[in-house]
Amino acid sequence: MRIEFTTEGGIAHFPGLARPVVIESNALPEAEASDLGRLLEAARFFERPAVAEPPRRGAADYRQYTMTVQEGSRRHTVKVIEPVEDPTLQALLRFLQTKARELRRGSRES
Amino acid sequence: MRPTAPRPGQRAGVMAVEGQKQRTISDSHNTQNLPGDVVRLEGAPPTGDLAVDEAYDGLGATYDLYWEAYDRNSIDDDGLPLDATVHFGQEYDNAFWNGERMVFGDGDEELFNRFTISLDVIGHELTHGVTEDEAQLIYLFQPGALNESISDVFGSLVKQRTLDQTAAQADWLIGAGLFTANVHGVALRSMKAPGTAYDDPVLGKDPQPAHMNDYVRTFADNGGVHINSGIPNHAFYLVATLIGGYAWEKAGRIWYETLRDSRLRPNTGFKRFAGITLATAQRLYGTTGLEQQAVRDGWSQVGIVVT
Repeated sequence: MRIEFTTEGGIAHFPGLARPVVIESNALPEAEASDLGRLLEAARFFERPAVAEPPRRGAADYRQYTMTVQEGSRRHTVKVIEPVEDPTLQALLRFLQTKARELRRGSRES
Repeated sequence: MRPTAPRPGQRAGVMAVEGQKQRTISDSHNTQNLPGDVVRLEGAPPTGDLAVDEAYDGLGATYDLYWEAYDRNSIDDDGLPLDATVHFGQEYDNAFWNGERMVFGDGDEELFNRFTISLDVIGHELTHGVTEDEAQLIYLFQPGALNESISDVFGSLVKQRTLDQTAAQADWLIGAGLFTANVHGVALRSMKAPGTAYDDPVLGKDPQPAHMNDYVRTFADNGGVHINSGIPNHAFYLVATLIGGYAWEKAGRIWYETLRDSRLRPNTGFKRFAGITLATAQRLYGTTGLEQQAVRDGWSQVGIVVT
């Protein structure tokens, strides 16, 4: 399984944080890969509508997240705008944000 | 507190107590539940929680700028209570305006400190509420970049007024103190020198232009609302510096009256906005004075000619 995760917006536009991050589940430790599978299932990811609800009128500085999951022949993209109220989506986003942070950390160390 | 006699522009039939803040700070306890539990109400003493107390003080300083400098009674000029939530989410790297309240994360402590640490960020968020009340600038492309710039302008003015700084003394940074020591950068944005606030292996390089020649055409970030805001931000810095003295007094007044002007439509772009600032400067300070010349020169130096 391959996930592309993009974060946009927020109080500032950081080009480094806006770059898509790719997470390959077979490159993850086994426990994390199965956590990811469970999180996607709990969020009913493949059944979700692709387009997020629009932001509330007058809202500003919110971030938007785009998640594209490719699993075998299945491919689905979901876009969400914060604040994210669904706890299953919150948990999935938190997992992806943690992985993205780990991957980005590498660019400071290299 | 000032007398409560009705002022021009005040909504009829409303008897709000003018000049009286009504702040409520709530705590999400690191969940994403809004509004969270109320932890400090208006008039209550400091709690000892830095984020709570910074939000309380920051909302107060922002209210005071609008009330004391522009005679505006809160976000809606009608005494709207000011609500904020702190400790939102886990390792949450953002602050936003959700249309009703200001929401602040604690930061991940790797790249970002808590988002209440910068007074101008608090002023920035509250000003989104003022802009929505007055102009409903669409949060896309140039109107969105103006929306962002107006938040930076008044956010910076809140800080300058609190620190008693003239335009020449101010740092004109947005979000100074927000980065941890790991980050190569001083702030989120620089109004004085857009594009120079950070250059970091993880965050990338500050993408803000300071001139129309470098305008960034993009669909990212709602059409570059936090990117191209560098152009009107720099114009304001130039106007305020050319006029001199305290920036909130004349330059801030010109921008504030522009925000209230009925010609400022939701789809207004930079050039139209600039034209209204010039007309406002002429109305307030005369057609031949230093102020209108400063407005012309400021916009001209970012590549926008106003006549």
